[in-house]
Amino acid sequence: MNKQKQTKDVMTAMAFLLPNFLGFLIFTAGPVIFSLIISFTNWNLQKTVPFQFTGFENFITLLHDNDFWLYFMNTIYFLIGMPIAIGGSLVLAILMSQKLKGIVVYRTLFYLPSFTSGVALMILWKALYNPDFGPINMVINETSRVFGGSGHIAPQWLLSTHNLFGLEVERVAMTVRQWGLGARDAIIFMGIWTAIGGNNMLLYLAALTNVPPELTEAAEMDGAGKWATFRNVTWPQLAPTTFFIVVMSFIGGLQGGFEQARVMTQGGPANTTTTLAYHIYTKAFEEFQIGYSSAISWILFSIIFVITVINWKLGSKDLNY
Amino acid sequence: MKLFFASVFAILVVLSITAWQIQPNTEVKGKTSLLWVSDDNPARRDQITLFNKMYPEYNMTLDPSNTGMEKVIVQSLAGAGPDVFDCYNGFQLTAFVKSGIAWDVTDELTKRGVNIKKDVWPAIQPLIFLDGRAYGMGTNVSVDCMWLNKDIFAAAGVPLPRGPWTWDQFVPLAQKLTRRDANGRIIQYGALIDMSANWLQFVMQWGGNLYSEDGTRCVLNTPEAIQGLQYMHDLIYKYHVTPSPVEEQAATSGGWGSGTITFFSAGKGAMALGGRWWLCTLRQSTNKLSLGVCEAPHGTYRIFRGYGKSTLINKNSPNRQKALDFLLYETSQQYNELINHQADGLGPIIKDSYTDKFLHDKEFPEEDCNAVWRESMQYAVPEQVSPFVNGQAASRILTKQIDLIKNNQKSVPDALHTAQDQINEEITKTIARDPSLRARYEALMRKGGAR
Repeated sequence: MNKQKQTKDVMTAMAFLLPNFLGFLIFTAGPVIFSLIISFTNWNLQKTVPFQFTGFENFITLLHDNDFWLYFMNTIYFLIGMPIAIGGSLVLAILMSQKLKGIVVYRTLFYLPSFTSGVALMILWKALYNPDFGPINMVINETSRVFGGSGHIAPQWLLSTHNLFGLEVERVAMTVRQWGLGARDAIIFMGIWTAIGGNNMLLYLAALTNVPPELTEAAEMDGAGKWATFRNVTWPQLAPTTFFIVVMSFIGGLQGGFEQARVMTQGGPANTTTTLAYHIYTKAFEEFQIGYSSAISWILFSIIFVITVINWKLGSKDLNY
Repeated sequence: MKLFFASVFAILVVLSITAWQIQPNTEVKGKTSLLWVSDDNPARRDQITLFNKMYPEYNMTLDPSNTGMEKVIVQSLAGAGPDVFDCYNGFQLTAFVKSGIAWDVTDELTKRGVNIKKDVWPAIQPLIFLDGRAYGMGTNVSVDCMWLNKDIFAAAGVPLPRGPWTWDQFVPLAQKLTRRDANGRIIQYGALIDMSANWLQFVMQWGGNLYSEDGTRCVLNTPEAIQGLQYMHDLIYKYHVTPSPVEEQAATSGGWGSGTITFFSAGKGAMALGGRWWLCTLRQSTNKLSLGVCEAPHGTYRIFRGYGKSTLINKNSPNRQKALDFLLYETSQQYNELINHQADGLGPIIKDSYTDKFLHDKEFPEEDCNAVWRESMQYAVPEQVSPFVNGQAASRILTKQIDLIKNNQKSVPDALHTAQDQINEEITKTIARDPSLRARYEALMRKGGAR
């Protein structure tokens, strides 16, 4: 009887899980496996190219492709905003956890960018970055004028190939000539603005409420100041959340850059804002090389996998769950 | 809690049914629905209205959300494509044909007495013909001329230029019309020229070419092409008569109704290089300009870049036979007169631009320069394409190098050298991938190659 009931329970559970599982199989696992197979072929949407298996040819070609490495560097470059965004989220979460009047309104306002259409935000930022008429440059130029400057010092933002690391445009190298602020940095600043008040802030906010008050009270009673309490009590308690945010930010960052390139820059100027995600799209849907772009996807997956494993190995050591 | 979830579920079901019931119905009883994927230019609505009026058995609707070659190809291959769609250049035509979604309408159009080669402007024929077969019909055509802001000329006491004229004649005039503020900052440009769209015109006007005649090689790295592009570069950095990329950003967001047109309509330029289709926006501009037009300046050769678009039929459409009527509609006098009246470029049929109605539109009597457009069309040459390279890949390479020239980060010879090498590398890769192209390429090479 018990066994019969157990079987019935299992069947019921399976029935509930089945729709989701089928959806996963058809819309996630299936395409993922399909793309892996396709990455070993020359599949091209233009029917004049006969379909055939080409082994590792796509992978070998792309690893020897200068463009791939340039776009990989762009992708990595975009990650430099990550620590600032995470730090900013933490600071904002601490502020938002204060018991202030109307705090819910503030929380909503700061979360606004996360539930606003990304495309709308990007169009807005594109206008803000306009070198001639954009408010950002107007403020910079006017400020320069007030301090006796020329009034023409503002960066060209989305039009410029300059960047903080002086990365070259046509090869993976650095040069002083390219040093400055340009399209890549503009996208990073926008990303930081979006990310600070986003999901990371919510995660930190939730984590802060879980810090046992008796620990902070004990620290205060022992005479610890606010900074000491934060550094020795709160911060260690936030470690699991920070670890999760760092891992997810790496994954999201390495997969990112598509919307920004599509909406704001079309990958330019001179392909300096083309990331691997955008490269996958252009190869697949503009140049029709589905096999090749699948190979790029799998290389990207491998990079993300390796970085996540490293994060896991290094970051999970001292976690106190 | 159970009751709450059940209520939410019930509300969602009711809302879904309501949404399904009230969704706009594109099917009209007794009529065949046709879907046209095209841009959201307001002129398009009137073109569709006229078609539905002339062919009452159809109900054509516009889908502006799925423009873009990649979307059309992918959707059509998946069986969810439109009935008719736009094609903007020879490369796109090749891609649509190779993907198996462009229907060969040569015989069908011949049966119906349409003679595209004779009747349609030559500048858009490469958007219709591939290997001698017709895959569509011209939608509209254009060539860039020099728009003139007559008020600025009058204020400066400078007579309006008349074509034909050269860039050397253009420069002193543009310099005279460029105005600066007390800080030396330019507040009014002599001319607004979208370099990204017009660079090839400079190359061609100095005798250069993008591809060899047979399309087997990119031949950009020639003294003629370098000279042409250097002139374009000098207009920005030596003569300072046209915006640098910094100023250009406000002027070139692209597409109809925005970009350089907006800049020009705001009175920021005395002249601007653009097509007749600019009128679609300029007529609606709140800042009414007193407009003139003259032929665009030329270099060594008096030729101009012709462009436009064609309409193709989806080979996989169940309505493809019926969609042929839309192509016939585009050959009709009514359609061509509508395009000419709307100023959505020029109508595809040549003879319909040689009418008094075209020269003097009663609704727009102030537009007295229409003869300039059709005169310039006679010197318009189609965009150069090579069947041996993916146009998007070539475009990516070219855009990067042109960006570097425009930003003054690379010399013209270096950029063209790189562009030529990289495009030729792409050609080598493409023919290695595609046996049919390889055979064709090798046949051409045996004949002498790279002419």
